[in-house]
Amino acid sequence: MTTLLRRPLVVLLLALALVAAGCAEAEDGGDAAAGGGGGETASDAASAPAGDTVSEAPATEEGPIRIGAVLDITGPGANLGGPERDTLELLVEQLNAEGGIDGREVELDIRDNQSREDEAATQLTSLLQEDVDIILGASRTGPSLAMRPIAEQAEIPMISLSANLSIIEGSEWVFKTAQNDSVVVQRLLEWMEAQGHETLGLARDASAFGEGVADIFREVSGNPDIVLVEERFATDATDFTAQMINLRDAGADVNVIWGIPPAAATATQAYRQLGIETPLLHSHGIGNPAFLEVAGDAAEGIVFPIGRLLVADELDPADPQTEVIQEFVTAYEERYGARPSTFAGHAWDGFTLAVQAIDEVGTDPAAIRDYLETAELVGMSGVFRMTPEDHSGLGPDALVFATVRDGQFALADEQPGS
Amino acid sequence: MSAEPAVAERADAAAMAVEGPGAGRRRARRDLVGLAVLIAAVVVFPLVAEGQVVFVGVFAGMFALAALGLSLLMGLAGQISLGQAGFLAIGAYTSAVLTTRYEVNSLLAAVVAVAVAVAAAFAVGIPILRLRGHYLALATLGFGIIVAVVANQWEFLGGQSGIFGIGDVAFNGRTYDEPGEQFYLLWATVIVALVLARNLARGRVGRALGAVHDSEVAAETLGIDTFRLRLQVFVLSAALAGIAGTGYAHVVGVVNAQSASFQLSVELLLMAVVGGLGSVWGAILGAVFVEGLGEALTTFIPRVIPGASGEYQLIGFGLLLTLSVIFLPGGFVQAGRRLSGLGGRRSAGATVPGPGPASSGGAVAVREQGAAVEPLLPREGRPPPGTVVLRVTGLERHFGGVRAVDGVDLEVRTGEIVALIGPNGAGKTTLFNVVSGVLPPTAGTVEVGGRPVSSAARPPRPHTVAAAGAARTFQNLQIFTSMTVAGNVAVGRHLRSRGGIVAGALAFPARREERAIDAEARRLAGLLGLDDVVDTRAADLPFGRQRLVEVARALAAEPDRLLLDEPMAGLAAAERADLAHLLRRRRAGGMAILRGEHDMEAGMARADRGGVLDDGHRIALGPPSAIADDPAVIAAYLGTDDDTALPPPRTASGTTADGTTAGGATAAGATAAGPAPGGAPAGGTTAGGATAAGEADRRGDGGGRA
Amino acid sequence: MIDLLQLVVAGLSTGAAYGLVGVGFVAIHSVTGIINLAQGEFAMVAGFVAIALLGAGFPLAAAAVAAVVTVAVLAGVIERVAVAPAAGSSAVVYIMLTLGVSTTLKATALLVAGPQPRALPAFTPGVLDLGGVQVRPQDLWILVATVIAAAALYVFLERTTTGRAFRACAEQPVAARLVGISPSRMSTLSWVLAGIVGAVAGVVSSPVFQTDWNIGLFLGLKGFVAASMGGLASIPAAILGGLLLGVVERLVAGYISSGLQDAVAFFLLIILLVARPSGVFGRTGAVARV
Repeated sequence: MTTLLRRPLVVLLLALALVAAGCAEAEDGGDAAAGGGGGETASDAASAPAGDTVSEAPATEEGPIRIGAVLDITGPGANLGGPERDTLELLVEQLNAEGGIDGREVELDIRDNQSREDEAATQLTSLLQEDVDIILGASRTGPSLAMRPIAEQAEIPMISLSANLSIIEGSEWVFKTAQNDSVVVQRLLEWMEAQGHETLGLARDASAFGEGVADIFREVSGNPDIVLVEERFATDATDFTAQMINLRDAGADVNVIWGIPPAAATATQAYRQLGIETPLLHSHGIGNPAFLEVAGDAAEGIVFPIGRLLVADELDPADPQTEVIQEFVTAYEERYGARPSTFAGHAWDGFTLAVQAIDEVGTDPAAIRDYLETAELVGMSGVFRMTPEDHSGLGPDALVFATVRDGQFALADEQPGS
Repeated sequence: MSAEPAVAERADAAAMAVEGPGAGRRRARRDLVGLAVLIAAVVVFPLVAEGQVVFVGVFAGMFALAALGLSLLMGLAGQISLGQAGFLAIGAYTSAVLTTRYEVNSLLAAVVAVAVAVAAAFAVGIPILRLRGHYLALATLGFGIIVAVVANQWEFLGGQSGIFGIGDVAFNGRTYDEPGEQFYLLWATVIVALVLARNLARGRVGRALGAVHDSEVAAETLGIDTFRLRLQVFVLSAALAGIAGTGYAHVVGVVNAQSASFQLSVELLLMAVVGGLGSVWGAILGAVFVEGLGEALTTFIPRVIPGASGEYQLIGFGLLLTLSVIFLPGGFVQAGRRLSGLGGRRSAGATVPGPGPASSGGAVAVREQGAAVEPLLPREGRPPPGTVVLRVTGLERHFGGVRAVDGVDLEVRTGEIVALIGPNGAGKTTLFNVVSGVLPPTAGTVEVGGRPVSSAARPPRPHTVAAAGAARTFQNLQIFTSMTVAGNVAVGRHLRSRGGIVAGALAFPARREERAIDAEARRLAGLLGLDDVVDTRAADLPFGRQRLVEVARALAAEPDRLLLDEPMAGLAAAERADLAHLLRRRRAGGMAILRGEHDMEAGMARADRGGVLDDGHRIALGPPSAIADDPAVIAAYLGTDDDTALPPPRTASGTTADGTTAGGATAAGATAAGPAPGGAPAGGTTAGGATAAGEADRRGDGGGRA
Repeated sequence: MIDLLQLVVAGLSTGAAYGLVGVGFVAIHSVTGIINLAQGEFAMVAGFVAIALLGAGFPLAAAAVAAVVTVAVLAGVIERVAVAPAAGSSAVVYIMLTLGVSTTLKATALLVAGPQPRALPAFTPGVLDLGGVQVRPQDLWILVATVIAAAALYVFLERTTTGRAFRACAEQPVAARLVGISPSRMSTLSWVLAGIVGAVAGVVSSPVFQTDWNIGLFLGLKGFVAASMGGLASIPAAILGGLLLGVVERLVAGYISSGLQDAVAFFLLIILLVARPSGVFGRTGAVARV
C-alpha cells in the first residue's frame, strides 16, 4: 500500500502549515524570521524522502498490476458495496495465491464512495493518481455516472457494477456487469403479459437507479399509458405511507417497486401493511439477503427478474452457468459464512473480466478496452457477449424469475418467455 | 463557573483589534513573514508531494476558502453558521450549470457563481440575521438542508444524482487538469483571500465587528449599524463559500445535494474552530489540518479496527471539536501565541496595576485645574450656544405594569451640563436607554437636533440616534473587553471615518485613515489620563478607569450631545475632579451634556441645571440651588414622605431591560447598587445581567432577537 | 377520506417520536439554556443498545429498559465530562460543543455497529384494520410511549421535590440559587431526563424508522423543530409540535410530493424562528414554564 509513502507527506504538509502559523503569530519580527528559517529547513529535510517516492513510478509491463475499485461500501448503497468488496478481496486473494497474472502480483485498491456521487468522483480522481490499470465500480448508477466522464477523460477502462444503461451508452471506455434495466423491464413485461396484466403502478428509487424507469416501461411495451402512477422515494427514506397510498388508489393491475434495500424492503412492508392485494413486482435491485431481513413476511410472494446466482441451488445442472456459480457460492460461503448476493456476482463478473483482459493483452489501457469490447464470459450475472455497441453484453436470457418463499429466495414456478 | 471559553474564543479577535503603532507594525511584519512562508510552502508542495497528496492539498485549499468565511463570521461577528455548505453548494451548482449546460467560460461562471451565492446570502440573511446565538445557528442549519432538498428535487439540477461531467477549469485556451495546477490555482485564490480578509479584520470594519461581538449595545450607540455589518460579513462569508463551491465543481466534477450536506457544514465549522476563530491564519491552518487528519484517519483506522467502514474519520472530527472547544477555545492560533509567549500578556495584563486612581490621572487634573477653562474639541457647524439639541416630550416607558419612566419632559441645550438626579431605581437608566434608542419608548418622543429619532410609533435604532450626534456611556460598563484602551476609543471614531468592506480589504485607501483614527484615539485617551495604559486590554483596567475609557470612547464620536450615565461612580476623588473639569471644557467647546447621578450633592455641584427623577416622574427641574430646596426633592431623598423604601416595585419586575441590576429579580440586587463608589455590581463589564433589553440571548421567550 | 386518515395516522406516530425527542431539547434548554445538538444521538444510541441486547438473548422488554438506562447514564456522563467544564460559555460555544459530542457518538456507533441500518422487531406483529385505516401496532406503541414518558416527566416535575427544584431552576434561576438549589446538579439532571426521553423515542421508533448511525441527525432536527413550536419551553407544546409536524410532513408527502417532506420541517423552522420565536403554542413574553 502506498499509505506508507503518503504518511510523511501529510506530516510535511502539516508541519509547513504549522510553521507558517508559528511565524505569523510569533512574538516579534526577530523570532518570526528565525521561525521562517526553521520552516525552510524543515521542508528541505522532509522533501528529500518525499522526492524519492515520486520518482518511483511503476513501469508499464512489470511490477504489480493495480486494480482500483470505487464501491458504495457505506451509505444507502452499503448493501451492494459490502458484498462487492468482500468478493473482490476473496478473488484477489485466490488469484495471487495462484501466482497472479503472468506471475505479476495483483494489487487491489478499494475505495468507499459512501454512496455519494461526489465522493465517487473524488475517489476515482485520487485513484488515478495511483496509476491503476483498470477501474471497477461503482455499485450504483449515480456514482457510476459520476465516474464515467473522469474515466473517459483519463482514457482508462472502467467496469461499472450497476444497472442503468446510461452508464455505458455511447461510451468508449465504460463497461458494466449488471443487467441493463431495459432488459429487466422487458422481462417484467413478459411476466405481466403471461399473467394478463396491462397496467402498472410504479414506486421507484429517486436516485439515478430509478430515474427514467417509467419511460423504459413505456418504450419497451410500446404503450404510453402503461404506467398509471409513478411515485418516488429517497434511497434513505423510512416512511412510505404516502407513496403506497397513491399506488393503492391508482388501481393498476400490478405494482412495481423499483429500488434497493433497505428502502425497497421497507416500501414492501408498507405495501403489505396497507393491505394492498395487487401483485407486487420488484426489480433486480433486491437480490440480497438484506432485503429479506428487513422485509420479513412482507416479501412473501413477490416476483422479480434476477441473475441465476441468487437461486444457485435450484439451477439446472445443464445450464452453462451452473458450474461457475456453484464454485463461487462455495468459496464465498466458506470465507464469509453467508451466501453471495447478486451484487457479489456483479463484482465477480467485473473482476474476472478485468483479469481476463489483462491476462490476454497486458496493461495498455486501449488494448484492454479493445479486448473488453469483444470479451465473452460465462459469469454470475449471465453469459456475457460484449460488442463495441453493447458494453453490457447480457440479454434477457441472463435473468430468471425469482420469488420469496418461506423467507428464502426461490426460483418462481412460472418462467414465462424462457 | 468561569467565562473563560467565551472570553478566550474572542481573544484572537481581540488581538486583531487595532493596537499601538508599534504592535501594529510588528504584527504586520509577522504577517508578511507568515505569508512568505505560506507562499513558499504552496510553491514547493506540489513539486515534492505525490499526486494523491496534492489532491488532498487541493481539497484543503478549497475548504480553506469556505472556512475563512466562516471564521470571519464567527470570530469577528460572533455569528455561528451551520449552513456554510449551503452556500458552497449554490456556488458549485451555478458553476456546474453554466459550464455544462451553457458552455460558459469557467472564469465567468465562477464570477456568476459568487454573485448567486451573494444574492442568496442577502435573501437569507435579511430575515434570519435578526436572530441570535443558537436560534441563528439552527436557522442556518435549516437553510443548508433546504438547499439540499431543493437540489434533490429540482430536475433541472439533475435530481438526486446531480450534475456530472463538469470539466476542469479552463481559460486562456488552457485547461488546468493536473492536480498540481489545480493546487496552484486554488491556493493562489486562498492567498489573495487571506490577505484581503486580514486587512479587513485589522481595519475599521474588523474593529467594529469586534465591538459588536463584545457589546452590541455599546457598538450600536457609537453609530455602528450592527445588523448591516453582520449582514455584510454574512454575505462576504457566503461569497467565499461560493468561490470554494466553484472549485469544488471543477475539481470533483460532480455536484449534487451532498455538497450542501450538514456533514460538510460541520467539517467547515471544525476547520474554523480548530484553527482559531476570527483569525484568518486559523482558518487556513484548520482546513489543512482537518483535511490531513481525515486522510490520515482513513488510512489509520482500518488497520486498528479491521472491517471498519464508512465515514469513520468522523470520530476524529467529533473528538477534535469537543476537545478543542473545551481545552483550546482559541484554536491553533491561540496555542501558537501561547507557546511563543504572547499569551502571557493576557494574564500579565490583568496584574499590571493601573496606576492608582489618584496618581497620574490626578496629576493631569491638578495641572489643568489652574488654567482657565479652555474650550475642548470645538467643532465647526455646532449649533449656537443655547440651542435645544435634545428634547424629550411626555416620555413613558413601561415594563409590564411598571412605569419605569412616566411622563418625563426635558430639554438640553448646547453649552450646558444638565444633571439628572434620582435615587436608585428612579428610572434614570431607563430614561438614558430610551433617549439613546436602546429601548423604544412606550409613549412620547425623543428629538435630537430638532428631528424626532424615537417614538412608540417609530422604534429607534441606537445607531441612528448616534448618527444624529448623540453618544453615551453606561452605568453598567459596556467596555469592549477584547480590545485595548486605544481600540475601545478607536471604535468611537466609527462615525467619523468611512472605510467600508472593500476599502478595508484593499488596505491602501484605508491605511491613512487608520493612522488618523489611531492618533486621535491615543490623544483622547491621553486627555482622560489613560496614556500609560493605552495599549492595555481595557478589561484589565480597574473599574474606575474603565469608566474613563467609556467617556473617551463617547467623546471620540465628537457628539453634540453627550449622555453620561453615572460617570462618577467608581472614580476616586481626583479622577472625579479631573473628569468634571474635562466636561466643563467640553461644554465650553459647545457640547450639551446630560449626566445621570444618584448622588444629589455630587450631581448638582458641577451642573448648570438639574432635574430630579423619582419613581419615573420628573419631580423638579431648575438651577441647582432651587432644586436643593425643593420640598418634593427633599421628600424623595430624605424619605419624610410615605415612601421610605428605596427600591420601588419595578426592581422586582424581573426584567433586565432596565439595565440597573444583574439578574434584577431580587431586592438584593437592587440594594447592592447602592450609592457607594463602585457600588454597581462588580464585574459589570462582563455581567450578563447588565445587557440591555433585546441584546441578551435570553432563553425561552423572544429575547433572542433584537 | 380513508387516505387522509391513513396519512394522519402515519404522521401521528412519526410525530410522536419527534415530539419525544423535542421534549429532550426542552428539558435541557429550559434549565441550562443549551441547545443540545446530540439529542438525536441519544435516540440512536438507545436503538443500537437495545438491538445489541436483544441479539445477546435478552427479552425485548429488558433490552428496551436497559437501553434507556444506559443512555440516561451516558447523558449524565456527557454533561459532567464535556458540558460542565465549559459552564458559562456563550450559546455559540455550546453549539460547537454539543455538535462535537454528537459527531463523536455518531462515529462511535458507526465503528461499533457498522454502516448497515438495523431495527428492533415490531413489539407486536400484525396490522390492525380500523375501519379501513391500517394501523401498525407499533404506531400505537410509539404514541403510548410518548404519552407515558411525557406524563411521567410531568408528574416528576409537578409532584416531587426534585422536580420542583428543577422547575424553579428553569423559571427563577437566581431565586433558585438563593434557596440553595445547585444549578450544576439540576443541569446534570436535565441531561439525564433528556437522555431518558430521547432513548425512549429511539427504542420505540426503531422498528419503524430503523436505527442507523446517522438517524440521530434526522430525529434531532425534527425534534428541534417540534420543540421550537413551543418556544423550547413547554413539554406539552413540544409534543403537540411534533405531532403537528409529523402530520404536515405526511400530508405534504401524500398530496404534494414525497421529496419535499424534509424541507417542510425546515421552512417551518425558519419561518417560526423569524416570526414567532416564542413558538406557535408559546405565549410571547410569558415566563418560561417547563
